[in-house]
Parts: sequence; C-alpha cells; structure tokens
Amino acid sequence: MKKPLLVSFLLLTLILGACGGGSLEGEEVTITGALIGSDQDGFRAAFEPFTEETGIIVSYQGSDNFEQEIQIQMESGDTPDFALWPQPGAVVDAANRGYLTPLADLDIDLDQYQNDFSSYLVGLGTVDGVIYGGANAANLKSIVWYQPAEFDARGYTVPTTWDEMIALADQIVADGMNPFCFGMYSNGASGWLATDWMEDIMLRTGDGVDSYDKWVSHEMPFNDPIVKNAATLLSTIMHTEGYVVGGTDAIVSTYFGNAQDPMFSKDANGNPGCFMHRQASFITGFWPEGEKEGAGTITTVFPFPSIDPSLPAAALGGGDMWGAFNDRDATKAVAEYMLSAEFYNNVAIRPDNARLSAHTGFDTSLYAAPINKILGDTIAAALSANSFRFDASDLMPPEVGAGSFWKEMMNLAVEGPGYIDTALDTIEKSWP
Amino acid sequence: MKQQTQQEKLKSIGISMLALGFFPLIWFLFQAILFRELTEIISRNLLVVFALIIGSTFVFLLFLGMDKIIKLSPKENRESLEARMFAGPSLFMIALFLFYPAIRTFYISFKDRYSNDFVGFENYRWAFSDPEMLVTIRNQIIWLIFVVFFVLLIGLVVGWLSDRLNKGEAFFKSIVFMPMAISAVGASAIFKFIYEYRPPPLTQIGIINGIRVSVDRLGTQCMNNRIIDGVFNGFDNPNCLKPIGWLQQRDMTNLPFAQNLNPDGFISSILVNLPINTMLLMVIMIWMFTGFAAVVFSAGIKAIPAEIMEAGQIDGASELRVFRSIVIPYIKSTIIVVGTYMVVTVLKAFDIIYVSTRGDLETNLLAVKMLDEFSKYRNFGRSATVAVLIFVCVLPIIVGTAIRERENTQS
Repeated sequence: MKKPLLVSFLLLTLILGACGGGSLEGEEVTITGALIGSDQDGFRAAFEPFTEETGIIVSYQGSDNFEQEIQIQMESGDTPDFALWPQPGAVVDAANRGYLTPLADLDIDLDQYQNDFSSYLVGLGTVDGVIYGGANAANLKSIVWYQPAEFDARGYTVPTTWDEMIALADQIVADGMNPFCFGMYSNGASGWLATDWMEDIMLRTGDGVDSYDKWVSHEMPFNDPIVKNAATLLSTIMHTEGYVVGGTDAIVSTYFGNAQDPMFSKDANGNPGCFMHRQASFITGFWPEGEKEGAGTITTVFPFPSIDPSLPAAALGGGDMWGAFNDRDATKAVAEYMLSAEFYNNVAIRPDNARLSAHTGFDTSLYAAPINKILGDTIAAALSANSFRFDASDLMPPEVGAGSFWKEMMNLAVEGPGYIDTALDTIEKSWP
Repeated sequence: MKQQTQQEKLKSIGISMLALGFFPLIWFLFQAILFRELTEIISRNLLVVFALIIGSTFVFLLFLGMDKIIKLSPKENRESLEARMFAGPSLFMIALFLFYPAIRTFYISFKDRYSNDFVGFENYRWAFSDPEMLVTIRNQIIWLIFVVFFVLLIGLVVGWLSDRLNKGEAFFKSIVFMPMAISAVGASAIFKFIYEYRPPPLTQIGIINGIRVSVDRLGTQCMNNRIIDGVFNGFDNPNCLKPIGWLQQRDMTNLPFAQNLNPDGFISSILVNLPINTMLLMVIMIWMFTGFAAVVFSAGIKAIPAEIMEAGQIDGASELRVFRSIVIPYIKSTIIVVGTYMVVTVLKAFDIIYVSTRGDLETNLLAVKMLDEFSKYRNFGRSATVAVLIFVCVLPIIVGTAIRERENTQS
C-alpha cells in the first residue's frame, strides 16, 4: 500500500524540481538547528512570507542533539544549506575548519549588515577579518525577575544599584523572608547560571566592557583582582545566610528551570518564597502553566543593577548565529532574507514566542507578548550603544567556558567564600 | 584424495584471486563511481530508489559473476571457493565498518584536537592525570564492581527462591523481569522522579524527599505542603527534615547520620566520602538487570537434575549448603556468562548517565565522557583516547570468552 504512494511522491518532487527552470521556484533550502518545540514552529513560520514570494521551500529541522549531529555531518560532508548554532563560538570553529561560506560570497551587503546588527555581534562570527556568521536572534540575560505587586505591598522599591539590592535583600531577610531564587543545576551544564552572574558583575566593575573583553580573550588572567572581586560579590549572594531560598544546598540542587517556582508559591502568610530571580529572558518557557501569561505584567523585570556608577549601562545576552555551507542562488536568497528586519515579523506576533530579533531596526511593537517589548527595546538600545556583550562562557575555549568555569562555580557554591582563590586558580590553570 | 598437479593448483589460485579479489573490487569501485556521479545529477529522493534497485541488482550480479568464474576451476576446489565467495563480502563489510574505524580511532588517539598533528602519548597522559578523567575512571570501576556484584547476587537469590515457590512462580518472575522491558532512558526518567528535588518551601514531588519532609520530628508536625481542613501544613519548621538533591550529592556530608560520624576514623571517612549520587544511579541499572539475571539463573537451576538435589537433601544438607555446594557449581558457567554480559553492559553504560545527570557533579562514565570530549569540548584526540580505553577494558573479556568457547567446543 505504501509503495505506490512513495513512488508517486518521488515523481512529484521530480516533476516539481524540473518545472522550476530558471527561477528559484521550488528550490529547497535546508536548515538545521537546536530550536525545538514552539521555537521550531516559530522559526518555520518566519519563512512563510518568503516562500510565498519566492517559491523557495525552506525546511527547518531542529534537534536537541544538533551540536553533535552537525559535527558528524560536517566531517562526512553531508551538510544542510544552513546551520543555526546556539552560540557563535561554534560558527567560528566551523569556519576555522573550512566548512563555511563567507557572507561576502553570498552577496550580502556587509556594511549594511554591520549597521543593522552592530559591529560587536558581527565580529563574533568573524575569522581573520572574514565574516562567516549571520546574527539571528538574541536573548537578554542582564535582567532580574520580580513581581511588582509583592514589592508594592511591602513597600520595597526596585533597586537600581548593587548596594540598593543588597540593602533590599537585608530588609527582606529582616522581615523573615528570602530575597533570592537561585538554582544552577542543569544536566551536563550545571553552573552556567553562576557564570552568568559573574559576567554581569564583570560588565559593571573594573573597566566595564573593556575589562570584560580582556577577560574573555584571556588578556587578563582568570585570577585577576577584578575577577576575584566579581567572585566575591557573587559569593555574597550565594553564601549570605537567608539570601537564597533553601540555602546553598538549593543553589546546587535546584534545576534552573524550577528555580523561580518559589516566587510563584505563597506560604501560609501569603509571602512568596523569593522576591528576585536573575535569569535570562528564555526562563519564561520554564514557568508553570498559568504564570506564563503574566510575563511582563504580573512578573516582570528590572535591569541588573549597576555596581560602579561611573560605568555606562551594559547588557549581557546570548544569541543564535547561522553559517552557510554553500553559495547556491537559493541559499543566497534565504541568507538575505534572514538578515532583513522583516524576518522576525511572523515570529514576534506569536504569543508563545520567546525569541527576540537581534536586528536593531526591528519593529518591537510587533511582539505579542508584553515582556518581549521590554526586552526587545533593551537589546536594541544596548546594541546601538555598543554596550551589548555576549555570554563570556560561550566565547571562552570549551575547556573553560563549558568545563572548568561551570564546574568551579558549582564547587564555589558548595565550599563557600573561602574557596574563591582556589576556584579562580583552577580555572586559570585549565585555560588551554 | 587425488593428487593435484602444480598447474592445476596455480590455476585454482588464479581463479580464486580473480573471483574473490579482483572481480569484486572492480565491481565495488564501479558502483562507488556510479553513485558518486549520480549524487551530483539526480535528486536525493530518486537516489534512494536508485540505490535500492541498482544496489540489490548489483549484489545479485556480483554473486552471479563470482559464481561463473568459480565454475571454471577444478571440481574439487569449487566447494571451498563457493564458501569463501559467500563469506567474502561479509568479511569485507566487517572490515570496512568495524576494523577500519577501530584502527582509525586508535590512530586518532595519538593526534591533537582536530587530528592534525601527532602529539605522541599526550592524550593518554591526560587520560590518567586530568582530575575529571580520574573521577570518571573511578566511577567506572565502582560501577563495574558494584553493579555486576549486586545483579549477580540478587539475581541468584531471586532465581533460587522463585524456584522454591509452590505457585505464582511465573507471575513473580515476570514482575521481577519487567524492568528489563523498560528502556534505560525510561528507567532513568522514572528514577529521576524518585530522586527529584525542589527548593524547600515548594511541595516535594520526588517520592524520597516527599517522605523525608513528612516525617514528624522533635515533636513538630511536618507535612509535604498539604492542606487539611483549610489549614496549610508545610515543613518550613527548622525541626523538620530538609529535602535533599540526591543526584547532586557527591558525598554523604549533607545526610544527618553522616554528620555525626567522626571524619578521622578509617571506616567512617570512607562512609562520609561515599559518592551517593553515583550509588543511586547504579541502583537504576541493578533494578533493570536483576530480573534478567534471575530468569536466566532460574532456568539454569531448573536444569539441575532432581536426583542430585534430593541426594543432597537426604544426606542432611541445609538449604544454604545445597545452594552453595550444588546449585552454584552446577550453574557456574551460567553465572560467568551473565557476569560477562553485565561487565560489557556496564562498560558501555551510557543512556542512564546521559539522561539523568549528563555526567555532572562527578557522576560521569567513560562512554559519556567520550561523547563530551567529541561534541562539548570538540577534542577528537581525547575522545578517541577514551574510546580506546573502553576498548582495552573490553578486550580481556572478549579474549576470555573466546578461550572459553574454544574449550567448550573441544571438550
């Protein structure tokens, strides 16, 4: 029964392929990436207007094992047309090994591209001055989630500086509650939340973005006093009695996706388990059902407080970057479309969307979810002011960024403030 | 047997070389070139159909051609040549897909991260000096010892006891065997829920922590956030036990009973440093494979002649004595086979760790470490080195099994 169907389907694709002729009608472009679930639906929807207009069929296939699969595909030469990596380090890696096509060969207007996505983002996908990576979505990590109603009811004000945040935390502890939610367990990546904290503190201490860039490129050793200061500040949050709900045990044991749940659950006196949770914008996807709708209204964000007032406001984030494996005409057309401001239009209007365009010219009023408007504006402003910085652990060599940095942050949480020097020295030693 | 002339011998060697070497080689190369060209011209979907049709026709033609050439050789040689003809392509495939990758992995293990330059034994030096690798090797050894031991022990006991049941043996055995039908991924997911942890004021959904926080202590009533008659009952009283992230505990220091132990004592220091998360992960594998071992042992025990057992009983041997002196020696080879199977399974153990902790907090095993080095740290040399280590560990078992097989067939 199945065979005739299969054969007729194959014949159909053949005929369709043959009919195309000179135009790109019916050409197929394949993209693989790590986006799955609703992100995958959104990413596919982004191409609908494009396919309607050009006839190019774009098929996206996401896999939660993408990073391994693409390695194997590149080794064997069986690559898709595009790969969408969750971090630019992998794009640079693939380009270094000669698998990727430079954007110049895809007829992309590079000046326009730099202008649209900021020279910093473009620089992340550049190898020896040749641009390989196409910026796509961005997410914002420099944010602290809180519930305004709970703050107002107790007369708490949103902190704008680190000292204010510590004062507020002390106030909450004095009132018999816990100020912070903090959980950094994550299968195979445990510790990344603490590295995010470190990065946010690094951006706001020392020489700000400059010392941050030096830290990332290892021009500054990992046990530099600036880094040590950052670790000490982080340790204040992790190890001060009463600061974190559940204590330090909970920091290590709580899965990051469940970490904010105490904020949503009230005890017998109507007090939430915690008041502040520093976590990236994508955490909304992990919230319990019924809380997701309140993102941006009931539960919203304040920017990570500044520490050194003389430094300009900075934003830490992450983002996707794609690389192309060939320069077919259809590939060129898709590449150009993915770099346009309109690319995210169809994604933004989806209510369940948690991905934000990294295009500075994107019309943020299109975002259906209220929280995305806030986050989108912050990202665009930071990119334009060149104060947006990428997640350092994703940019460091994997032995550090996905290895010792994560691991030592877990150890730091367990061992306490006395372990800071050992942790930083161990990371410094592991730098290849 | 008829004496062959020198000429006939040469002729049959020539024909066998032609039939089993030269001809198939030309054939494979021809096919490879054809498909290489086809991929450039026709679409992928069509290629699949082509490969199916042409590929199978080619195999048919290949055997037909080989057979035709073999027909030219003297009658006496035909039979052995035909045998080789059928075994040949399989051997070729095994060589291509098993031996070649194995040898290449060994070769890559002496090269750097992108397998560009030779680094000598650097990767092996790393494997036995890197702290994370050492923990991984330690875990692998703990797994080998404990999982194999407990699967054999519990399997034997269950197999022996279920054999003594008057009724319900099949039912009982199928219950014990059931975990075997669950995939390792499924089993790990089940146990993840058993060990699940939520930060304290939240309701504990993991059964162990759920029970833990509901224990009334020191005159305080503790409950897992239950609402009774409109009153909320939690466990936030300091007297109540706190939940524990079981899979996140690298040692016992967070458990109340270990806190009272003197860390200087020899035994108590071992107890305090027990890697509890690794132990709890081993439980998953023991749970999965005990049923399998029990069923195999039970079959072995049933094969023991009733007379021997009865003779033992008449001589006044106790149950334990019968078990030790009759049952164990009788099913010794079964125990070895199951033990061998378990050793190989533990060395390959991947899915449990991959699903539950992904190797975090010192729970890693070699198979997962191999993948981590490949995809997470992108270091092909080290990844290959770990693969070689696994292979070296399995090697004595392969050799041992081969020797035992030979002894069995000879005796």
